[in-house]
Amino acid sequence: MVTDRISTACLLVILSQVYRPGFIFLLLLALDIASHWLQMYSSFLVGKTSHKDVEDSSSWLFRAYYANRKFMGYCCVSCEVLYIILFLLAKKQTENLTDVLVNAATQSWIYLTLLALILFGWTIKQSVNLIQIKTAADACILYDINKKQKD
Amino acid sequence: MADKSRPSTLNVYLYVPNIIGYIRIIMNCFAFAICFKDKYLFSVLYFISFACDALDGWFARKLNQVSTFGAVLDMVTDRISTACLLVILSQVYRPGFIFLLLLALDIASHWLQMYSSFLVGKTSHKDVEDSSSWLFRAYYANRKFMGYCCVSCEVLYIILFLLAKKQTENLTDVLVNAATQSWIYLTLLALILFGWTIKQSVNLIQIKTAADACILYDINKKQKD
Repeated sequence: MVTDRISTACLLVILSQVYRPGFIFLLLLALDIASHWLQMYSSFLVGKTSHKDVEDSSSWLFRAYYANRKFMGYCCVSCEVLYIILFLLAKKQTENLTDVLVNAATQSWIYLTLLALILFGWTIKQSVNLIQIKTAADACILYDINKKQKD
Repeated sequence: MADKSRPSTLNVYLYVPNIIGYIRIIMNCFAFAICFKDKYLFSVLYFISFACDALDGWFARKLNQVSTFGAVLDMVTDRISTACLLVILSQVYRPGFIFLLLLALDIASHWLQMYSSFLVGKTSHKDVEDSSSWLFRAYYANRKFMGYCCVSCEVLYIILFLLAKKQTENLTDVLVNAATQSWIYLTLLALILFGWTIKQSVNLIQIKTAADACILYDINKKQKD
């Protein structure tokens, strides 16, 4: 878990050095750390053993994501692949992110399809990260409420 | 009296200390967005956000608005702020890799400590009773000393960011330059570096201690079965 988080973080760091605006990669770094940290914390409070065990949640996207391990895997891998591709595509010292993406997409139909697939998986993963933050924050608050009711 | 099927969480989201937490986050976002355009404004905003960290705890106790969510919000904001500061330092300084290592150390030590604390059942990672390392016990025994070490790290990173004039700076050159300016600078830098060294050493010990705790947890669980 820790190795995953730090690896992704360092990859986002070097992307923020190479691309302009670098700030977007800082935001992605913050989202990754915050969502996983909050989920880990709230899972412990509730008593679940793995953050991948999700039973009751109001979001359809959330349930769909966690219901299918292969789909989860595709989304996670898409993120890492996207970041590596972005790093490999950067030729100059500082690259413009949209230029590089548009360039890659317009090379051929194959590249366009691959990029679309990767970006779709990446979008799902980041959306789930956002929902994760809200769900976990709610869980922390409910934990306090339940504790008070028991006393 | 009607039963609420789902208790309202909005109240806690609107607690004063939590609102201070949101302001901290917005301030940090803005600060990091402009950090290369205006170093001094960035430093002021970062410092204010850092000061708010102490402020929201005080408000929570004063207004009886202590919450688990607030504690986690605080922790996560701290980790991400420090991480982003180390990121921009790794852009500005050569070798940048050392700041990646410090980023990894910060995240790893706090993550492992949080995880092992939950396994053992402690409520705060700052409650340490039994540990074999004298440095570890000394660090956690005195809250003021802890505070000095934590503040030293943030101050060191901000100073390094402010001192960098060229696009890519050599880390040792900048430190030696600053130290040899005057006796006052040398003393201040020595104090800051001392606190920073203690904090990073504790982070390293934290990793070992927490990893041991995870293993002992498994062993104890097996023995109970």
